[in-house]
Amino acid sequence: MSEHSEKPVRQAGGELVIPVVAIAFSIYFFSTILESPWTAQVSAFLIGGILIALCIGFIVRTALAVSAGSASLGFGNLIRREDWRSGRIGLLGATVGYVVLIDWGGFTLTTFLFLAISMAILSRGRRLGLIALVSAAMALSGWALFILAFDTRFPRGWFEAAMAMVLANG
Amino acid sequence: MVESLSFFLELFLHTLTYWWVIVPTVFLGLIVGGIPGFSAANTIIILMPLTLAMEVETGLIFMVTLYSSARMGAGIPAILVNIPGTAGAAATPLDGYPMTRAGKGQQALAMSFVASSLGGLITTVIALAAMPILARVGFYMHSVEMIVVMLFGISLIASIAAEDMLKGLIAGFFGLMIGNIGTDVVYATPRATFGFLELYDGVPLIPALVGLFAVSEAFLIIEKKSILTDSGRAAMLRSSWAATFEGVRMALSRWWHIVWTSLIGLVIGVIPGAGASIASFVAYQQSRAFSKTPELYGTGHPEGLIAPESANNGVTSGTLVPLLVIGIPGGATAAIMLVVMQYHGINFGPTLFEDQPEIGYGMFMAMAVTYMLMFLTILPMSRYMSRVTMVPTLYLAPMIISFTLVGAFVPREYMFDMYLALGFGVIGYIARRTGYHVAAILIGVILGPLLEIYFLRALKKSEGDIMVLFSSNIGNTLWVLLVLSIVLPIWLGRRKARRAAARS
Repeated sequence: MSEHSEKPVRQAGGELVIPVVAIAFSIYFFSTILESPWTAQVSAFLIGGILIALCIGFIVRTALAVSAGSASLGFGNLIRREDWRSGRIGLLGATVGYVVLIDWGGFTLTTFLFLAISMAILSRGRRLGLIALVSAAMALSGWALFILAFDTRFPRGWFEAAMAMVLANG
Repeated sequence: MVESLSFFLELFLHTLTYWWVIVPTVFLGLIVGGIPGFSAANTIIILMPLTLAMEVETGLIFMVTLYSSARMGAGIPAILVNIPGTAGAAATPLDGYPMTRAGKGQQALAMSFVASSLGGLITTVIALAAMPILARVGFYMHSVEMIVVMLFGISLIASIAAEDMLKGLIAGFFGLMIGNIGTDVVYATPRATFGFLELYDGVPLIPALVGLFAVSEAFLIIEKKSILTDSGRAAMLRSSWAATFEGVRMALSRWWHIVWTSLIGLVIGVIPGAGASIASFVAYQQSRAFSKTPELYGTGHPEGLIAPESANNGVTSGTLVPLLVIGIPGGATAAIMLVVMQYHGINFGPTLFEDQPEIGYGMFMAMAVTYMLMFLTILPMSRYMSRVTMVPTLYLAPMIISFTLVGAFVPREYMFDMYLALGFGVIGYIARRTGYHVAAILIGVILGPLLEIYFLRALKKSEGDIMVLFSSNIGNTLWVLLVLSIVLPIWLGRRKARRAAARS
């Protein structure tokens, strides 16, 4: 509606996401404690009640702004074409892949791949040599510091296992 | 427990001879403090075999140094890249990061180092002098009093949400609601866990911190080539050693601010169960409430950076008081210290200062020496550390994501926590893009479960009588102070505006 007007208006659709999620979460929360003892309910009902009231207040305020023409229900402040061009969607995909694969591939290898892929996405395929070098240096530094020196229980894969064997055999 | 001045001088000089332990440990602490998930407590646990193998004094100095330096280290990424290393530094980026974006990262770091070192040093000396009195503070702080202390921290939500109060309150209460996830403290009834066993203990703080701050920040900074503004980048390119000295001068000229906010940290630190996050939120809120320029907070105001950094380092010395005097650890790191020291046959309590004064007083002396050496070693590094902000975001963002997500895994070693951090990252990203303050959500997540515990304890003791909240003299005094700290700044602000209007 107002997206075609001459004067740019506030894109309030995106601003409604957090209140809507908060209301949905509060209702879900209440549904899990209906049969619970009062000790489990009192704090949640108090906080959740106030939260729902605040969210409804915000939704009403937004509706009034939309009806007055000073805001639209657009999502322009949340999702834009720029997200594709800036590589944000690609980075999100790489991040999800990283979290899914790290348990299988281990910290060092998966971190190297994640860094290299996401940096390549963000640089739009430029400076690949430098990116590979930086990614390898960071992943190996992380391995040396956290796994070799601190013996932290980072997710481990074949690289860590191979290096452990190499180091154990001197 | 009264020793001569020569004893303390001798102890000080003796502790100085351990510089070879302190200096490398400072660097270790700065690293582990700076990466979310690698707190001092975790690192002491990881290095426990080494600590146990050390001679008592060396192990003690190592742990105290690691504890203090990790606290300071947590503020560095908070200032430079808007990512607090621990929950105790969650209030630091509110003003530290805007300074960095404006090209004043070097000054901000120097200010933070002065505030942390001076705050830590002052509170260590006060703790040493007033140990018997401070040790009793914990006895007077019951559930009711703790509820008011928590509310002091929570009232910060309203302060940082001044731009849009409704959005700020929604963010804060959403955080409080998330903080209530998990089993209830009395009957262990699971609540809103989505069927995940990993959430029965509540929402872990590190994944929340990583997601809300680090992951969401990484997805935002890629819009520009650098995290610095154009003028900030120009300022960074021009910056020299003078910027470090300017930061030191800015901090020292606010010495009184450092003193009183670090005292807030000390008092909160001696209360078992309270911690650096509460102290830094309360200090920030109080600093803003009694400032002549509250409108500058959140825009890169020096006092907004000094307050949380002084306070969270004040907590460090505060937590040692109940540990040493009554044998009750004030936090996770202090609890681990207790275990290590008991392994060496040292029993904490009042007799420690009579039987082994060099150990009892030695811990405070180690902390004092650490703060002195730490300041001298770290200050020259502020110039080089601040250069991190010059790294192009195409390299910086993936590094932030990978290392902080793995950091989310470390404390509990659940893969689930990495997914949780990613989920919080999505919430944080949406919140930032649509004008909700992620710090307000985090305050809720941190303080929500604590508030509930104390609230339920108070209600259980009083058999459900809500008037228990106003049943103690100390509690009532705190209530009055809380109301004053909220109402007075509003009243003063309105009076100032009226006078300005009358003059014009």
